[in-house]
Amino acid sequence: MEDFLRTFFDQTVNGLVIGNIYALTAVGLAIIFGVGNLINFAHGSVYMVGAYVGWVCVTRLGLPLPAAFGVVVVVCGLLGMLIERLGLRSLQNSARIAPLLATIGISFVLDQLIQLTFTRAPQSFPSPLPNTRFPIGGVSIGVIDLLIAATGIGSAAVLYLFLRYTKLGWALRATAQDRDAAQQMGVNVNAVNQTAFAVASILGGIAGMLVGIYFSTVYPTMSFQAGLKGFAANLLGGLGNVPGAVLGGLLLGLIESYGVSLFGATYRNLFAYAILILVLLLRPQGLFSRQRQAPPEPLTGTFVPNSKPIHVPPWAIAVAAGAALLLPLFVANPYVLQVLTNAWLFSMIALSITLATGTAGQTSLGHAGFIAIGAYASALLTQRLGLPFTVALPAAAILTALLGTLLVLPAFRLRAHYVAIATLGIGEIVNQMILNWDWLTNGVMGISNLPPPSFFGREAVRIQDVYWYALALLGIAALIQWRLVRSPLGRTWRALRDDDIAAQSYGINLNRYKTLVFASSTLIAGMTGAFTGHMYSYINHESFTNTISILGLTMVILGGMGNLIGAVVGAVALISLPEFFRVLVDYRYLVYGLTLLLLIRFRPQGLLGTV
Amino acid sequence: MALLELNSLSRNFGGVLAVDHVSFDLHAGETVSVIGPNGAGKTTLFNLITGLDQPSSGTILLDGKALTGLRVDQFVERGIARTFQHGRVFGNMSVLENVLIGAHSRRQAAQRGLPFIELVRELLLALWPSPSVAAEEAQLRQQALEILSLFGERLLPRLQQPAYSLSYANRRRLEMARALASQPRILLLDEPTAGMNPTETAEVLAFIRTLKTRNLTILLIEHKLSLVMELSDRVIVMDNGQKIAEGKPHDVRNDPRVIEAYLGHPAPHPSPSPFSAETHFHTEGTTTS
Amino acid sequence: MNTTTPVPIPTAQPPLLQLQKLDTCYGAVQVHFDLNLQVHPGEIVCLLGGNASGKSTTMKVILGLLKPRQGTVTLDGVNVTGWPTPRIIRQGIASVPESRRIFAQMTVQENLLMGAYQRSGWATFWPPATDAVRTDYEQILALFPRLRERLHARGGTLSGGEQQMLAFGRALMSRPRLIVMDEPTMGLSPLFVDRVLETIQTINQQGITVLMVEQNANLALQIADRGYVLQNGRIVLEGNAADLLHSPEIQDAYLGQATS
Repeated sequence: MEDFLRTFFDQTVNGLVIGNIYALTAVGLAIIFGVGNLINFAHGSVYMVGAYVGWVCVTRLGLPLPAAFGVVVVVCGLLGMLIERLGLRSLQNSARIAPLLATIGISFVLDQLIQLTFTRAPQSFPSPLPNTRFPIGGVSIGVIDLLIAATGIGSAAVLYLFLRYTKLGWALRATAQDRDAAQQMGVNVNAVNQTAFAVASILGGIAGMLVGIYFSTVYPTMSFQAGLKGFAANLLGGLGNVPGAVLGGLLLGLIESYGVSLFGATYRNLFAYAILILVLLLRPQGLFSRQRQAPPEPLTGTFVPNSKPIHVPPWAIAVAAGAALLLPLFVANPYVLQVLTNAWLFSMIALSITLATGTAGQTSLGHAGFIAIGAYASALLTQRLGLPFTVALPAAAILTALLGTLLVLPAFRLRAHYVAIATLGIGEIVNQMILNWDWLTNGVMGISNLPPPSFFGREAVRIQDVYWYALALLGIAALIQWRLVRSPLGRTWRALRDDDIAAQSYGINLNRYKTLVFASSTLIAGMTGAFTGHMYSYINHESFTNTISILGLTMVILGGMGNLIGAVVGAVALISLPEFFRVLVDYRYLVYGLTLLLLIRFRPQGLLGTV
Repeated sequence: MALLELNSLSRNFGGVLAVDHVSFDLHAGETVSVIGPNGAGKTTLFNLITGLDQPSSGTILLDGKALTGLRVDQFVERGIARTFQHGRVFGNMSVLENVLIGAHSRRQAAQRGLPFIELVRELLLALWPSPSVAAEEAQLRQQALEILSLFGERLLPRLQQPAYSLSYANRRRLEMARALASQPRILLLDEPTAGMNPTETAEVLAFIRTLKTRNLTILLIEHKLSLVMELSDRVIVMDNGQKIAEGKPHDVRNDPRVIEAYLGHPAPHPSPSPFSAETHFHTEGTTTS
Repeated sequence: MNTTTPVPIPTAQPPLLQLQKLDTCYGAVQVHFDLNLQVHPGEIVCLLGGNASGKSTTMKVILGLLKPRQGTVTLDGVNVTGWPTPRIIRQGIASVPESRRIFAQMTVQENLLMGAYQRSGWATFWPPATDAVRTDYEQILALFPRLRERLHARGGTLSGGEQQMLAFGRALMSRPRLIVMDEPTMGLSPLFVDRVLETIQTINQQGITVLMVEQNANLALQIADRGYVLQNGRIVLEGNAADLLHSPEIQDAYLGQATS
């Protein structure tokens, strides 16, 4: 009994400490959402930058902790203002989902800059704090726990005073409530936005630094989890609700802490995503909001700008396909062939994403999850059931279509950017399942020794064979998708994308056509995953990360939303160009992020135009 | 029996009755207009009749059968089609495709069937259209062209152009064409001439006349009262969510309640009444006929 | 309430607000066609018109929320076309927006002080930075005793009439030369409509020029000096309020003329 109480007390303290971090992150997101009507995907990256800045100050520059705090505040504040400039203000006249995509691009760029400067490896962050622990009853609390609690409470107090007693704070509140009316009182809303981003980023940066000290380590990929958890906490408290974000953060911290002690540490991240999805579906206004309805759609609409697609003559497609087919006969360099094989596989991913996102307007940020399902399905079918690859691949694709559609099904009632967030969460949940269902997926160990791709007994041993198989699969996928999008079904999808209200009013059953599009899209994703798994002969939960989803979306935007040839062109360009310009190889992800940013700003219709 | 029957229909938005116990009938072949000042609840009423919004109380009967509990898309299947106040064409789709969407619920592939099987069927029919599906598509295209030809040369030469590139008036025409493609029994037009100049307005008037001669039942929201007077068999006047008058166009026009609804409630203080409605309407009545 | 005697248009003074040859569009739809309008210091001018005649769009253009395609907006001789809203507000315009647009989560007191936003120092907002703001604040509460009673209630919990008073008070807090009002009587009970009209007259007597957009012609013309009637984005009638009140043409403008 005493043991139980002690564990319970320990977990509560842990939960509250981590909850404080989540609260700091969530408050920033809430402020930005309230004022700028934007879900800031770059927030997690700011948090990570804050952690690294703190780490540099303490370990490299030997600054005392208060000075490091000061530097984090200045750097992250400026960074926030820069994000507002690039991600929001310059996109005021763009599609309403453009700022959201821009913050994804910014996040990519920030993550890459940190990786390039400090490598991917985690850096140890020795605590600059004394190691004293204060005993309370049978347990004890460390200095860092107290520091985090104090920072959380202190930040909340400062924020309260700022919002309540300063002119800018008033402007911020007024803008959040009614932007137009605030303008008519003489409030400069651009300045308010900038302030909101600065304040939010300062809070995020401080949270990052504290986490670095708490876990004694900083690493570049900490950004993604932090952003998503901050968002989950924010959603739990009600989007844009600042006190709600604090409560949501603490609650999420406690849930995680108790959950981990019940189910084990590997489940830690699952709770946030489960909460994310559950709240979106059951109580979109959050736990602490009185309104019965979800807040008005902040960023409605798809990212499909009006444009006339460039007509590519059929002979050009035939020539290109022929050239691709004959290439291995003339080029023996395995490196070139491997890069192009990757390009074909990414083309399929881009096709799959563009079907849901471009043709039917259901922005998906979770396709990596579907690809993973396909890969695991095929791996398990061949290894456990001994099915030949020829059978396992289509079976895996169909399984992915069924499972993927079932997973997205609850999100059908969501619209526009909420779909994007729900799919992001779904993708992560798939990842967490793979990590935790040891009996099925072998957990962290992954599945190795997958047989190489083989069709009708012809194993792909040489890279040329792999190349041809991948190309053939791409051909099949493209052909299926081409037939679909130019059929009456494709027409219906595009109507659903252009105006779902009008579409319903003309007899289109939204759920039916969302089901059909996700089934078709995840079918192709599953096929791609199955092939990729066998090509690498080893998969684990890290084989298909969220980066793939974002990269695929960037390819789609580059080629032109909904444009099939565009998807292939986008994939080939983004995969092969950095490889062939050797200077760029190290900076490839930086290039991807910048590409996304530039496209959104300057050529939202992509290279070949939207369809 | 009335084709469409509204029984004490209400819609409550957080304590405000946007539509307040409205009842009326619509008979086959009639053209009925709903008029009233801004915020009278006309568009909300349209949203209720087309299923985009659910009434807080009251019922809508089509052919004596209640439409309660149906999804929006099922209203179209039962023959109720509409246009939108601000024009909601599918911007990135061609003129022809927009009209074909109007015929969506008539397509074989879109019909309901066994759960799951219906989905697989629609996918397969999209990949490999059966001869009958192909023939149907050709026939729908033919019908779409016929509907578009009702607008003369306005839309026909622009068949493959994306709808976003059309002029505002052409978008409104396209919306009407799209609604007609569903072969509706009742057509609801929400301000079909909003934003149009007098010439374009006159064209719409002629067009609606054509529809009338084809015996289509029409429910019209319109601010240009001259158009309403010319087209309507009956006029329903709404103010503050309530039906305040109903009758023949001429009678409604002379109804003091209607004038009050439009021009303002008379001043509570004695002041010379500026409107001698009768003489005024009389003069205009003669010019219209 | 007394019917104001018609004032001759004071041509000697330059107009406080002048709209010249305004063409405004929402995307493909043209809302204003060659719109001309003047407001002279001290006047109450009403802009009348039926549904969708372009009245509210005029307000947006004046406040800089929408840029006209052509034409100019001049304030006291300064061309302010295309200026950002806060800068236009700083020239001494206050707005009572359509459907009032009270800050729903802020208290009555906070709403009023938001009205003095341009006049406040950057640091503290409460207590008011200057005596002048404090004096105005007290005066406005004296004008609207009901607001004093509900000083700490949230804006969103007020009734429609109270919100309208708050919107007036908020606008007055900026010490404007000109107040523009968009449908100030919309959605109010007849009793409140009366109060609103009285208030507008009181405000005007304190030397503040008023431009009000109204659909309710009978009421607006009773307190206005001059009026303009918009129809489909064009000014079809203008003149002294008393003349307009008796003009049979105004009904045409509202109910539409025969096209054939």
